[in-house]
Order: sequence, then C-alpha cells, then structure tokens
Amino acid sequence: MMSLASYLFISFFLFVCGIIVMTARKNIIAILLGIELILNACALNFATYTRFVNQNMDGHILSLFVIIIAAAEAAVGLALVIRFFQVKESVHIDDATQLHS
Amino acid sequence: MDYNIFTIAPIVLLPFFAFVINIFLVKKFTKLGVLLSCTAMFGSFICAARIFLDFVFNKYSTGYYIHKYFTWFDIGTEAIPFKVDMGIYIDNMAATMLLMVTGVAFLIHLFSTYYMKDDARYGRFYVYLSLFTSAMLGLVLSDNLLSVFIFWELMGFCSYSLIGFYYEKEGAGNASMKAFMTTRVGDVFFLLGIIAIWTVVGNVTFVDIYKTIGNGGFDSLMVLGIPLATFAGMSIFMGTVGKSAQVPLQVWLPDAMFGPTPCSALIHAATMVAAGVYLSLRMYPLMELGGLTTMIAYIGGITAFGAATIALIQTDIKAVLAYSTISQLGYMVLGVGVGSYNAAFMHLITHAVFKACLFLSAGSIIHSLHDHHTHAHVQEMPRMGGLRKKMPYTFWAMMFCTLAISGVPFWSGFVSKDRILGDALIQATHHTSYIGPAVLGFVAAGMTAFYMFRMMFLTFFGEPRDKDLYDHTHKEGFSFNRNLPLLILSVFTFGIFFSGSLTGQGLTHIFGDRYEWFQTLIEKPKPEKFSTYERQEWGFADIKSEANFPKASYDPSYGLPEDEAHHVHYMHQIGAVMSIFIAFFGIFMAYMMYIKRAWNPAWWVNTFSRWYRALQNKYYFDDFYIGGIIQKALIPMNNALAFFDLGIYDRFAVDGWEFVNRCVYKATNWFDNTMVDNVGVDGTGASVKFFNVILRWAQTGKIQFYMLMLIAVLAGYIFTLV
Repeated sequence: MMSLASYLFISFFLFVCGIIVMTARKNIIAILLGIELILNACALNFATYTRFVNQNMDGHILSLFVIIIAAAEAAVGLALVIRFFQVKESVHIDDATQLHS
Repeated sequence: MDYNIFTIAPIVLLPFFAFVINIFLVKKFTKLGVLLSCTAMFGSFICAARIFLDFVFNKYSTGYYIHKYFTWFDIGTEAIPFKVDMGIYIDNMAATMLLMVTGVAFLIHLFSTYYMKDDARYGRFYVYLSLFTSAMLGLVLSDNLLSVFIFWELMGFCSYSLIGFYYEKEGAGNASMKAFMTTRVGDVFFLLGIIAIWTVVGNVTFVDIYKTIGNGGFDSLMVLGIPLATFAGMSIFMGTVGKSAQVPLQVWLPDAMFGPTPCSALIHAATMVAAGVYLSLRMYPLMELGGLTTMIAYIGGITAFGAATIALIQTDIKAVLAYSTISQLGYMVLGVGVGSYNAAFMHLITHAVFKACLFLSAGSIIHSLHDHHTHAHVQEMPRMGGLRKKMPYTFWAMMFCTLAISGVPFWSGFVSKDRILGDALIQATHHTSYIGPAVLGFVAAGMTAFYMFRMMFLTFFGEPRDKDLYDHTHKEGFSFNRNLPLLILSVFTFGIFFSGSLTGQGLTHIFGDRYEWFQTLIEKPKPEKFSTYERQEWGFADIKSEANFPKASYDPSYGLPEDEAHHVHYMHQIGAVMSIFIAFFGIFMAYMMYIKRAWNPAWWVNTFSRWYRALQNKYYFDDFYIGGIIQKALIPMNNALAFFDLGIYDRFAVDGWEFVNRCVYKATNWFDNTMVDNVGVDGTGASVKFFNVILRWAQTGKIQFYMLMLIAVLAGYIFTLV
C-alpha cells in the first residue's frame, strides 16, 4: 500500500506543473490546461485525505464536485477563448490589452 | 363730573395720535392731515374745557386735585429700591394751564391753515405742531419731574425742528442749533436737580417732594458744601432759565424767530417758554426752602429790564415781539422771586393769550406784505406804516393786545403785571435786597408800553413809507381762519376774565363772591398740607369726599394781621397808580416820537450812541459767548481733546494695537504658509506621489504577473506561518 506522502507528492507535482504551465505559457488554451492540472491536484488531495484521515465519503464527493466545476470552467473558458480569437485573431495572452491604459 | 381714562387721556393722546397718523398722510394727503390735526386739537380742547369748568365752577376749592399713578418700571431690590412711577396730577393750576394750552394751540392750528397754506411743507408743519402740543399737554399733566423732563425734551426737539423749518433760509439752521444747544445747558442742570431730589425723596413726584419738604427731609443735607435744597432748587431753576430764556441763557429766543410765525406764537411765546415758569411754580417750595428767591427776583428783573431795552431799538416786528416775550417772562420769574405765586401764574396765562395774539397779528401782517422784487415777506417796520386802513381786523386785535401788554387798566396785562409789581414793592419795603428787582420791574413796565406802542405806530399809523409795498397789499376781508383766532384771543385780553374787580385791586367788583376767582384758586403749595396725603392708585375711584374741600373764598386781608394787610393794600394801590402812570408815560413818549414827530428818535440815538451800539449788539452776549466762551475756552478745550484723541489715543492705543495685530499676523502667516500649506497640504501630495512611484512598477497589466505575485504572497504567507 502506498503511503500518504507519495499521494501528496504526486498531487504537489501536478500542482507545480499546473502553476508553471499557467504562468510560463502565453497561449490561453495552455493556461486553461494549467488550471485543469491545478484542479486535478486539488481533487487528488481531497481523495487522499479522505482516504487516510477522515475515512468517509466527503472527499470523494468534493472531488466529484471539483471535476464537474472543472468541466464547466473548461467549457466557459474555451467559449471565451473562441470569442477572443474571433476578435483578435490570436490566442496569445499578451494581446488581451484592451483595458490597459 | 367723573374722571376716568377716557376723559383725561385724550387731552394728550388725541394730538399725539394725530401726529402719528399725520406722519403717513403728510406727503400725499396734506389737507386730510391738516384737518386731522385741527380736529384732534379741538377734541383735546373740549376735554380740557370740561376739566377746567368742573374745577372752577363745581369744585371751586384750592385743595382739590386728582392724582393717579401707575408703576412704569420697578427694577430695584429690597436693599436698593428703584421704582419709577408715572401719573397725572391735576390741580387748579394744571387745569387752567390745560385750558390755556389747548385753546391757544387750537386757535393757532386754525390760523396756520391761513398762514402756511401756500408753503411747500404745509403738512410737515402740522406734524411738528401736533407733536409739540401733545408734549406740552403731557408736561402739564405730569405728576413728576421725570416725565416733565421727558416732555420738556420733546418740546425742545419740536422747537428745534420748527426754528429750522425754513432750512433753505440762511441762518435758520444755525438758529435752530443755537436754540437747542442753549436750552441744553439749562437741561443738564435740570437733570442734575432731578437726581439730587431723587437721592433725598426716593422718587420725583411733586407731591412726595412737597411732603418731604413738609417733613423736613431736606434739612441739614449738604452737597458740595451748600445745602442740598439750594443745590436742587438752583439746578431746577437753571432749567427754567434755559427754557424761559432768562439771563444769561436768553440768547436763543430772538434767533428762534427764524421759524414760521404761528410756531413762534405757540412755542416761543405762549406755551414752551412758559413751561419753564410753570416748572418754577411747581417747584416753588423747594426754591423757597433753598433761599433762592432773591436771586430769582434779580434774574427776573434783569431779564425784564434788559430785554425791554433791546426791544426799544428793534426794527423787525418779530424781533420786537421776541424781546417783549423775554421781558414778560422776566416778569413772571420776578413774580416767582418775590413770592407772588398766583400773580406770576396769572401773568403766564394772560401773557400767553395776548402774546399769541400779537404774534398771530404779526403773522397776518407779514403774510400780506409781499415784496414783488425779492418775492419775500416783509418783516421790517420801516417799510410798513399806515396799514390800519388795509387791515382793520388785525389792527384792532393787535391794539387790544398792545393795550393789555402795556398795562393799561381794564386789560389783562394790567391785572397780572400790576400784582407782580405790587408784590415786588411790598417785598422791597420789607427787605432792601428786593429794591433792585422792583425798580427794574417798574422801569421795564414803562419801556414795555413805549416799545409796544412804537411798534403799533410804526406799523399801523402814519403814512405808508414803502408806497409800492403798500399799494400791492390787498385789503383784509374777514376770514374765519385768519381773523377769527385773532379776535377770539383779543377778547380774552380783557381783564374781566381774570379778575372781577374793575381795577384788578379787589376794590370795586362787579361779580358775586367769586370775583377774584383766579386769586383764590391758585395758591402756593403748602408743604405741611401734604404730610397726611395718600397717593391714589390708578383706577379713578372718587378720591375723597367733597366735604374735605372747602369752597375757596377771597379774603381781602390775605389772612394777615390788620396793620400788615393795610400795608399790603396800601402798597398795592401805590404800585397800581405808579404802573398806570408809567404805562401812560411810555405811551405818551411813543406818541410824541412816532406820531407827532415832536421828539426825534435820531436825537436819542446820537446822544446815547454807546448805549445804542450796546443795544444793537444785544449787550454783547452773543459776542461774549461766541468770541469769549466758545473761541477762547471751548475751542482750545476741543483742540486739547482732539490732540489727546488723535495724538495720544490714536497714535499709541489704536496704532499700537495695530502693531500687535501685525506681529500676530506675521506669525500666523508663517505658520499657515510653512506648516499647514507646505508640510501638511503639499506633504500629503508628495507622499502620495512617492508611493505612486514605488507601486507603479507592480501595475503591469499582465495577468500572469499578477498570478505570480499572488502565489509569491501566498507562499510568503505560508512560510511566515510555518
């Protein structure tokens, strides 16, 4: 049986990957992918702790909620990206400067 | 007759309301305002006549009086009482005064509708006239010296306004100021006297003053080293001197003739100047207690004599009457001084009647003499003459009054003036110090007859000296507002109204037992009589039963021992004979000089040229006051005070305070500019700008940068917690 630390390590690895993708990439779709990674890290964290600490179903249910919200967020985010592409002909994050003075 | 607020108050209030309403009517509704004033005056006359008739025909008692009062204000404490009462006090003297003032004032109101009709300020004249009359009536009704003083000053104001009525005329403004300031000198003393009395009596009601005198409250009180009664009496007499134009404050009255002639008749002949004498009569017990009678007699005698001499050479018809007024007021004061109380008061009344008539006659003459070259009315007697045929009514009215003032038997002036002279003679036989006033009085009587008949002869007799002026004068027809007042007043110059005896000596009398009604009704207030007196609250209940007031009766021996009474009668007869002789001598002189032309007036002028110059300069009183007192004393004092004010007070106190303020200004200015503006206001801006520079680099607008910052902060937070 795998220990708690190994689960948390994987979760941490996913979270850091998500952060790096989200901050380093200039493609908006890539940023959305980074956000999905962070959310998955969160969901894994929930599942891990409910398995090792709580011993009940709370974490599982919250993980399901996270997945559902991630799906909804991906749908909204991609819709925004498509609309942004229609306006700017680009998916580069630095082109979103309309509110910049 | 019952007395209540509705029968007494209208005497004062009707003219006063007329004045108040007239202020608003004066510009647009002049005629209505005039009608209102005259009607109010007539109503006042009716009320006064009711009271007079009740006092003289029903009550007919020397002791009868009405005294009602209410508390005006009371601001004292237990320890320091200070309560001021106002009220009315009507005795026989006040009732007679009321009738005289309202009657004369009404006739003068009536005459003014003739005299002032074409004047540009017709309505305004009536405004002042109404105010004046109400003030005079208020003075007569007053029961205390304080309200007397208030009304006294109101009259002074009206006098001031009416003297300066023709303010566009040169000198009128100065004359009004002179009158006001000269009487003010006396008023200051009057106020001092009121204060002095207040300290002793606790209030200034006539009755309480009499009571205090009767109780000996004034005895052995001293102020400034002289007895308090003397001080107070002298101060109040100075008020009389100012108002009644006695020496040495007589200088204002001749100049007061700048006013319209009806106002001269009302204010400067009949009522206001007589108010001073009225005050002296009211305060007679105090002056007697203070031992001032000799001095008063001297002032009266000198005034009567001096003014009569100046009147001898005047050519202006109003100036003659003005000096004659001063002279007659001198007689009244002489009467006060020699203790002939009721004769002085009788002379006040008779003089008011005939002098008002004389002034109105003069006004009638002046108004009809119109110079077509200068468009001015003529007052100079050398340009008149022969006016008897043009103005018969005015002539007869003036003739009666001239006979009265000259002291011709059967006229009122003889009755009253002769009693004063007779009493002066009696006093002179008792005390040698009274010889001077008596002699001055008799000599002035002769001169009075002379200058009055000189005026008559120059005005009405002989040939017209200014033919052009004479021809342009219209013949006088009878008119109710021009001649009726003159004739009514001239009727009352007959002595029979004042004394039922034909000679005025109580010898041959034609009425019943009241033939000397005036003599018996007006008597000296006897202070001891007031010791049991209780003051009556406002409410007009019947004050005492009539049984307490015995009917007055004439006692031919004046209650004196037989030999003394004989002496009094003897001296009165000598005085009467002397004054008749002197009066006819004066008339004879005037006749010889101005009708017969037997004695040339120029001879007198040349022979006594120094005296003539002195008379022309009015005994140099004006020169002395202006050149001496004002130039030498008051203007240097003014300069010294101005130096103190400008050189010391302004320079050091005012400018010093300015210096202090400037220093404070500099300090606060520095604080404001440096500390508040630079440090506080600009410092806030500078700090905002500083933080702006620091924080600006973080506002990149790049969302990933914000994300990094967020993570860095969260990481820092977590590390700090751990």
